[in-house]
Amino acid sequence: MSPSLLLGVAAATPRFRTPHIDYLSILPILIMMGGAVAIVVVSSLVRRQLRTGVGTLLAIVTSLAALGASLTQWADVADHGAKVTIAGAVAYDGFSVFIQVTVSIAMLLTVLVGDGYLRREDVGGPELYVLALLSASGAMVMGSANDLIVIFLGLEIMSIALYVLAAFNHRRTESGEAALKYFILGSFSSAIFVYGIALVYGATGSTNLPEIADYLSKNVVASNGVLLAGLALLLVGFGFKIAAVPFHMWSPDVYQGAPSPVTGFMAAVAKAGAFAALLRVFVSSFGAERADWQPIVWALAILSLVVGAVLALSQRDVKRMLAYSSINQAGFILLGVQAADGRGVAASLYYVFVYTFMIIGTFAVVTVLARTGDRGHDLSEYRGLAKRQPLLAGALAILLLAQAGVPFTTGFLAKFQVVAAAVDAHSYALAAVAMASGAIAAFFYLRVAIAMYSPAGASGDDASHEPAGAAGAGVGGEAGSAGSGSPAGSGMADPVGAAGGRGGAVGVAAPGVAMLSLQVLTDEAPSPEVAGRTVPVPALAATALGLAVAFTVVFGIVPAPIVDFAHRATLLFL
Amino acid sequence: MLHVTALIILLPLVGFAVQLFFGRRLADPLAGAVATIFVAASFVVAVGVFVDLLGVHAAVRSFTQVLWTWLPVGGLHVDIGFTVDPLSMTMVLFVTGISALIHLYSISYMRGDKDFPKFFLYLNLFVASMLILVLADNLLLTFVGWEGVGTCSYWLISFWFTRDSAASAGKKAFVYNRIGDAGFLVAMFLTFEKVGSLNYSVIFSHLHEIGSGNITAIALLLFVGAVGKSAQIPLFPWLADAMEGPTPVSALIHAATMVTAGVYLMCRINPLLHAAPDASLTVASVGAATALVAGTIAATQQDIKKVLAFSTVSQLGYMMLAVGTGAYEAAIFLMIAHAFYKGLLFLGAGSVIHGLHDNQDLKRMGNLRRYMKLTFWTFLVATLAIAAVPPLVGFWAKGDVLDAAYARYPVLWVVGIIAALFTAYYITRLTALAFFGEDRWRDHRPHGVGSDVAGGHDAAAGPPHESPWPMTVPLVVLAACAFFGGVLSLPWYAKGTLLQWVDPVFGANLYNAHQSAGMLWTLGVVDAVVAVIGVTVAYRIWATRSEHPQLEPAFLQKAWYINEAFDFAIGRPGTRLAAFTATVVDNRVIDGAVNGVAALVRGTGGALRRVQSGYVRNYALAITVGIVALLGFMVTRLWWS
Amino acid sequence: MKLAATTLMVHSTLAAVSATGVTVTRASTVDVVTFVIAAAAVLIGAVGVVLARHPVHAALMLVMTLFGIAVLFLLQRDDFLAAIQVIVYAGAVVVLFLFVIMFLGVDREENIRFEPLRGQRPLAVLLIALGTAGVLVLGLVSHWATGAPEVAGAANGPGSNVAKLGKSVFTTYLFPFEVTSALLVIAVVAAVVLARRPPATPDPDDPDAASGDGNVIGEEQEVVG
Repeated sequence: MSPSLLLGVAAATPRFRTPHIDYLSILPILIMMGGAVAIVVVSSLVRRQLRTGVGTLLAIVTSLAALGASLTQWADVADHGAKVTIAGAVAYDGFSVFIQVTVSIAMLLTVLVGDGYLRREDVGGPELYVLALLSASGAMVMGSANDLIVIFLGLEIMSIALYVLAAFNHRRTESGEAALKYFILGSFSSAIFVYGIALVYGATGSTNLPEIADYLSKNVVASNGVLLAGLALLLVGFGFKIAAVPFHMWSPDVYQGAPSPVTGFMAAVAKAGAFAALLRVFVSSFGAERADWQPIVWALAILSLVVGAVLALSQRDVKRMLAYSSINQAGFILLGVQAADGRGVAASLYYVFVYTFMIIGTFAVVTVLARTGDRGHDLSEYRGLAKRQPLLAGALAILLLAQAGVPFTTGFLAKFQVVAAAVDAHSYALAAVAMASGAIAAFFYLRVAIAMYSPAGASGDDASHEPAGAAGAGVGGEAGSAGSGSPAGSGMADPVGAAGGRGGAVGVAAPGVAMLSLQVLTDEAPSPEVAGRTVPVPALAATALGLAVAFTVVFGIVPAPIVDFAHRATLLFL
Repeated sequence: MLHVTALIILLPLVGFAVQLFFGRRLADPLAGAVATIFVAASFVVAVGVFVDLLGVHAAVRSFTQVLWTWLPVGGLHVDIGFTVDPLSMTMVLFVTGISALIHLYSISYMRGDKDFPKFFLYLNLFVASMLILVLADNLLLTFVGWEGVGTCSYWLISFWFTRDSAASAGKKAFVYNRIGDAGFLVAMFLTFEKVGSLNYSVIFSHLHEIGSGNITAIALLLFVGAVGKSAQIPLFPWLADAMEGPTPVSALIHAATMVTAGVYLMCRINPLLHAAPDASLTVASVGAATALVAGTIAATQQDIKKVLAFSTVSQLGYMMLAVGTGAYEAAIFLMIAHAFYKGLLFLGAGSVIHGLHDNQDLKRMGNLRRYMKLTFWTFLVATLAIAAVPPLVGFWAKGDVLDAAYARYPVLWVVGIIAALFTAYYITRLTALAFFGEDRWRDHRPHGVGSDVAGGHDAAAGPPHESPWPMTVPLVVLAACAFFGGVLSLPWYAKGTLLQWVDPVFGANLYNAHQSAGMLWTLGVVDAVVAVIGVTVAYRIWATRSEHPQLEPAFLQKAWYINEAFDFAIGRPGTRLAAFTATVVDNRVIDGAVNGVAALVRGTGGALRRVQSGYVRNYALAITVGIVALLGFMVTRLWWS
Repeated sequence: MKLAATTLMVHSTLAAVSATGVTVTRASTVDVVTFVIAAAAVLIGAVGVVLARHPVHAALMLVMTLFGIAVLFLLQRDDFLAAIQVIVYAGAVVVLFLFVIMFLGVDREENIRFEPLRGQRPLAVLLIALGTAGVLVLGLVSHWATGAPEVAGAANGPGSNVAKLGKSVFTTYLFPFEVTSALLVIAVVAAVVLARRPPATPDPDDPDAASGDGNVIGEEQEVVG
């Protein structure tokens, strides 16, 4: 370097030391971004359009490298402890590493699903991976952020890439519409979020999380309205990203319109990033102010649980249904946030982690079943799937049951832990509502499962609407009859929860199992078989699905490693 | 062998997985054979474990195998752990043994059913769930098995779901069981709240810390669960409807699994019952009442399987009576005895139904002893056994129960003796109607419901036929057990008996009547006399009925009268007058509430959906509502914080 | 997608406004008067952007807002940021907006008469009023014991503002500063993605793609932008 050669002013500039950069602490982020740039470079170097396979390969390598790097981080943090690096902007602790691992896995699974999608839809090259990798890096930044400004940047990196990803399929007008809606509402919420940051800065004099916590611990200010307003607005911003009611309205439309692999990615990564930041900011930095924000989270959780579950009931489009169900799941994760203690954080982390597998696996099936054009999302498309493709149907059934919280899946433990955390925090009403909504939720997950295991309607693809409608009516009828199971079960689970017991999630899942039995039994008489409607399942998507199912089942039966993982991540955080 | 305890459960589970993935490929009848092999292997392992357990000194005869920690969450620590002690071992032996026989029997019975592999899939899972329930070392794992058994039973009861009655029977079983399960759940939470653990041994060792009121509450709540699962008053009507399932399922539910779960649970929590005399008395009273009421109902049924269903309810009542008396050993003994003869009765009934091409109406049977010799003789053994005619197993088992009841609750003993009279009566009536008298089935050929089974007999021409060997072998085996089963526990010979075997589990909690030999003889004679009277009366009335039909109508009418009265007062046994209570509870209250909730949920959904218009500005408005609400809350925090 | 990146920048400036608003209490009368005028310009401009029927008017209103912000920066003695504000936003960004608007056709107008939800507009006005009131109440009632460093006037210590800005970008805010570059990559890739057009030959499975009448999501037709 020869600064004097550049400009005369250089000599006059006061010298300063740049902060030490601990590269390991941001290695996964760098890998994700680097991989994205590498794909862009490679695709611009080749003459013709880059073949999908090459992009997929690069993206897989990148995700695996990021996963490896985050696991290395885990070992490092476990050995040397947590720390704050890069001028206080980055928190390098078990919590952040946990999020890096989660996001890396989500990214990997998404690439596996996305490959088949890109080939089938012929919607162009590796830009999907580039944007997804960048979005994932944004979520990782949110997980590692130790400063409100950094959180905001991570949020925007994640979100803006997601907006574009939602618009990725230019053959579908819904895709563009979804993107535009997401973008406008997302910008709105981001503005609110920034306003919140500004108010918090005004009240505390810093955007750095430890400094904020430090200030608040040293200065007890009665009725600090600016801080309160800031907290409220921050919650609005987070609430939008996790799609908590009443900030959820975008999500059904966007989930429905966005390309299916992107929807899965969105559901997993956006949740992971937003919840990571939410937990760090509120539980860690504003832990002392919990009396102020806990009731809000409480209300958001209850609204999300109830509205998500109730509205999911009336959906016929599976992606919309999954959107509402994902709102419901966000409500569950909020239980852990509301508890605002180590157990709550661990429970939320665990939930986010296992939900990643469940939701991306589910969307892998949704992607595959949608056929060319990404349109086959009506419930009737799922009818009789078990006959045509039993493995696919079985995998989806397992993932849906897991989301419903059936025992011996990771989903059960996730619900169990957040409910237990809520009970520990004496939020009995919240726990009761959660269990009731879990029982309702079991209903719509099972509705899809039932459809798959019902005989296929006689309908073809397009022309004959009438038989499809009949099939739908059949499903509706079953739904009605199964209703006689679910609320009875939930009705029993509620007082139980209110009685102060822990682990009422057992009660959540049990009626679900029972209902399944009922619904299978009340099948209509089998209709003529629909042959030749099997959908091709790409090998990579099948791999992703297999990974998701295996994880969900194996760690549902032997949960200790993952529970321990989340728990230790929390220990290294608080 | 003790360290392979988990294998007992694993084998049926593996069988289940095999059926799940390869069932369709294996198809009929190989799928059934595979399923049977897995359950039989489980039985073999169980025998191995049993032999090992015998080698352990009686005082420490309990072994817990912890596979892994299932819930490592905070205060709640739940293991996947299985305990073998004499109590669970006894259950395991007869659950696996009888299930294996029923599997074998089903291969033949379900032959030609279009869902043949699915049937065995459920059957294997059913057995596995029951084994989990029995072997679990904590309440939660027991509950998992409890729910698994329930779920499988719904699947199996409604196996022929195209029949409306089968589908609704499944639903009924579901609702009644859920009522019981609620009790179980609350008991579990209460236990955890008071003890901080769900592990049986931990709970029992902390009993003195939790207060007698809580103990009574927990015991009674668990009993509510047992009432649902073991079909006691008032939750028994589902069991009669459960007959809609295929006959092997009925046999499985009644003889080996499911309904005995409640009794087992009560035995398992014997320290709780011992510490709560009020709860014990409740259990005993409900048991005795159930024994009598169900016995009277059984005496009037026309459907062969319904007679057996109410008979099971009645027998379960006896078991509960024994449990409530503190005579756990007697309860276990009766459970085993019941498994033998009720399994035999069901399989015999199935053989009859099969032979008559799906005819279940007693009035359209008769004189079958000439056509189905083997079935007849085995059935006769079962009849005498359940009627408690000495020296068959029923005499010893029921005698033990009644002896204990006589010593502790004399009033309940009277109830039990009357019930015993009814037992002998109804079962003999059944046998007489089915196997004696005239060939009434000639006038009423079947309506053709599934009658194309077993080689296409010409309905009008062929006489009833004996069943093929896979159906008769289990009959013979069970008949032998029902005949000689009494040796398990003879009152004058203690060494190597069931009592000595299970004694360490119950220890001081076991009620000891200390009756004199003379007293025992007297009671035994009373039992035997009652049984013989019942058998004789019923035989004289019913075996000759078809010969002199015109001489009997007065008595018949009277009998129906009783049935109607009981129908009216208690249950809904599926006769032509549905019982008042059950109708109201079932159709009005439960269905009404359920439909109401469903309608409410849908209505709310519709209203909320209107805001979801697809317009961004509406969504933004909703966000703004949220913002204002949050800020509004924060404003309130300024003043009321 | 430039728009997205620019909104980000607008947001960060908003943060700055708010932060400066906090410390203005110590300023002189002239400062106060200037502040009120500039703030009014900012707010009127912002409302105008939303309310203007004609897109060009909206863009011009945006310029007004941006100028107001520049004045607010000047008020904080930060001439460098004020200059950047004018050059980058008013000069480059808004001009780009105008280009796009002209390119798409200035006479485009959407039907905003139709309102799917009755009472949407009065409700919106009411809620905005309430929200503003909420923030104001919270701000005015609270005790102003903030930990904010005193930043009225030139940034503390010797040296120029520019140097300090540069220093903080390479020290305290190094990571945020570098991470922002990801946004630029996203913007480039996004431009590539969004600029693609569906192929001319209509897909037989997909009638909508050819005809272009979309808005399948939600209950009603929706035309945004």
